[in-house]
Amino acid sequence: MIFSYNLPLYIYIIITSALVNLGLFLFQKENCRPDGRELFEFRTTTLNIGSISTADGSALVKLGNTTIICGIKAELANPTTDAPDKGYIVPNVDLPPLCSSRFRPGPPGEQAQAASQFIADVIESSDLIKTEDLCIERGKLCWVLYCDIMCLDYDGNILDACIIALLAALKNTQLPEVAVNKETCLPEVDFEKRQRLRIHRHPVGASFCVFDDSILIVDPTAEEESLSTAHLTVVTDEEGRLCSVHKPGGTPLSGEKLQECINRATARQREIHKLINKVLDSVKTAQ
Amino acid sequence: MMEVSPSENVSLREFGCEQTLLSRPDGSASFVQGDTSVMAGVYGPAEVKVSKEIYDRATLEVLVYPKVGLPGVRERSQEQCVRETCEASLLLSLHPRSSLTLILQVLHDAGSLLSCCLNAACMALMDAGLSMSCLFCGVTCAISTEGEIITDPTAAQEKESRALMTFAIDSKEHRVMMSSTRGSFSVQELQQCIAISQKASEKIFQFYRDSVRRRYSKNL
Amino acid sequence: MFSVLKERVGDVLLPGDEFCCGPQETLSLTDSGKPERLVAGPGIRQSGDRLLVSRSGVLRHKEPNKFWIESQQRRYVPAKGETVIGIVTAKSGDVFKVDFGGSEQASLSYLAFEGATKRNRPNVQVGDLVFAQFVVANKDMEPELVCIDGSGRANGMGVFGAGGLLIKVSLGLVRRLLAPHSDLRADLEKLFPCELVVGMNGRVWVRAASVQQTLIVANLLQSCDTMTPSQRQQLFKRVQQGGL
Repeated sequence: MIFSYNLPLYIYIIITSALVNLGLFLFQKENCRPDGRELFEFRTTTLNIGSISTADGSALVKLGNTTIICGIKAELANPTTDAPDKGYIVPNVDLPPLCSSRFRPGPPGEQAQAASQFIADVIESSDLIKTEDLCIERGKLCWVLYCDIMCLDYDGNILDACIIALLAALKNTQLPEVAVNKETCLPEVDFEKRQRLRIHRHPVGASFCVFDDSILIVDPTAEEESLSTAHLTVVTDEEGRLCSVHKPGGTPLSGEKLQECINRATARQREIHKLINKVLDSVKTAQ
Repeated sequence: MMEVSPSENVSLREFGCEQTLLSRPDGSASFVQGDTSVMAGVYGPAEVKVSKEIYDRATLEVLVYPKVGLPGVRERSQEQCVRETCEASLLLSLHPRSSLTLILQVLHDAGSLLSCCLNAACMALMDAGLSMSCLFCGVTCAISTEGEIITDPTAAQEKESRALMTFAIDSKEHRVMMSSTRGSFSVQELQQCIAISQKASEKIFQFYRDSVRRRYSKNL
Repeated sequence: MFSVLKERVGDVLLPGDEFCCGPQETLSLTDSGKPERLVAGPGIRQSGDRLLVSRSGVLRHKEPNKFWIESQQRRYVPAKGETVIGIVTAKSGDVFKVDFGGSEQASLSYLAFEGATKRNRPNVQVGDLVFAQFVVANKDMEPELVCIDGSGRANGMGVFGAGGLLIKVSLGLVRRLLAPHSDLRADLEKLFPCELVVGMNGRVWVRAASVQQTLIVANLLQSCDTMTPSQRQQLFKRVQQGGL
């Protein structure tokens, strides 16, 4: 009768919960992850700079399967009235339906918007670029950097990849020289002479996933993220200062585990900083 | 847990709360910290759209409405923080295929907004009678340019601070459930702020207990 | 654990409060030696060897071993055996869909009425009020209602509702109305004769001799939700004297 069509639901619930338990069992007993990595091993990071010729700066990052591309477009604008001697940076993270079936077409969802806010906070907290450097003429003209970060393949840990892509793209950005013509008061842009942006700090993030507040893994894939009970992202810069400790809820974390995460994040920062410098040097020698 | 020296007195602004003030939501509460005030309403467990239903637990949706204007990107990131904190402390598996909606309306923002939202959310969830495994509270710490740590900062103190951190602390073991930071700081400063927040959370949990006791004393 | 819980009866508890088995309590030599069984009601759940409180409210105790948390709630969650007032929203084939205020609609078979057979269908239309009890009500399955009891008799259940008024009150008020020696019911009886159907989902149907009296009783019930007993008695007295 009415029982018959509810029975398959029971079976579905049992099977799925069995799979979840199997995943946790692998982590706890075997100390390994479905893709064979150690609990604290990052995926291979590859970086490609300057691939988009129409942008002022660009970078493509692959963290395992997660692929993020960042393009920087610089435009001229009037500075805001409350900060007449500063330019501004506008980051935007886009998670299109291309990268994963869980994102539907339409206005940006909560994850994309929260990621955009996170990147904006990291830029501001870490003093990545001094916005005074973006001012051309006080009160009249300044640079606006539109950073469009798009995910091409979603396999977990997009926040780390977005920060690396943004940092590499900004280091690659070359702004043309602008002079304000005294007579016409119009800006004159010289596309031949280009100057690199001055990057003051190099923030790099490390993301962690917590399972039942006992197991901590680094650089989660999408499957591990969906099974985890909490996420944590720690952003550090080269002086060992923390720029952001982002843990948007989830099961609680003890002080010792947090300290462990911070230590691993500092090690990761050095690694990525070296990688970015290496790639930039190779691009420069190739030119 | 790092020891906080007894001379460091954790000072919080005066707070107040009221439960069951709205007639239509299943649970409602308003939380006031100094001049910052947030009202929260909870609906649920109610019907859920088939596209959003989860087979083994309730679907929690959090909506944050600012005082002026439409919700923007900043509100979305606050919603994500509040939602994941609530999901960790509610027993969602008791209501599969239903929806819980938590709406936070900012009435006045005079500093420490995210922690006021968290406190209002916790009180509203308790008022609605939803099963929870533990309570949580929000504490904001600001590090001034001189390195002084201020708890529950006002809007002016937040603006001048070098770093601003908000933590959600749980009631069972006083550990950090949620952390949202702005500005740069050292590891020692982070540990100190966490210790101070844990101490402040004890005061807030005692306040929760007193206000619930007051509410039920009428009918005893 | 029994003694620890008994001490706290009447206290206001919050979610997260724990009761754990203390160090071995002294065993009395005169007791029969049977292990203590404790029935944990709504608001208390077991996790390992501890009892955790999951709702805020007052701890209550009923002899011999039932403990539960009494909390003020407005949203109804269906439980097996409870009688509720539902509104019929759809007729699909052999089954009626009934809205009882929960997270999904319950199904009520047309055969679950007294004297109903395949040829003799009950006279139930969309929009009718039914007083029914839950025969299946758990979190994983669709709730099912029936209008007959175990022996096939209606026992007060079925379609009703001509001429009365349906109001929504909190679950606490409903429990107070249905309690064995309820002060509230006693006070209402002194007012004027009326018919009341009380559903455990927070819905109450009222019918009195005239429309004004029906409205008075309905308004009284809704307003005395949040009053202390003395305030309530004062209000009822004023109504009796014709003050309102």
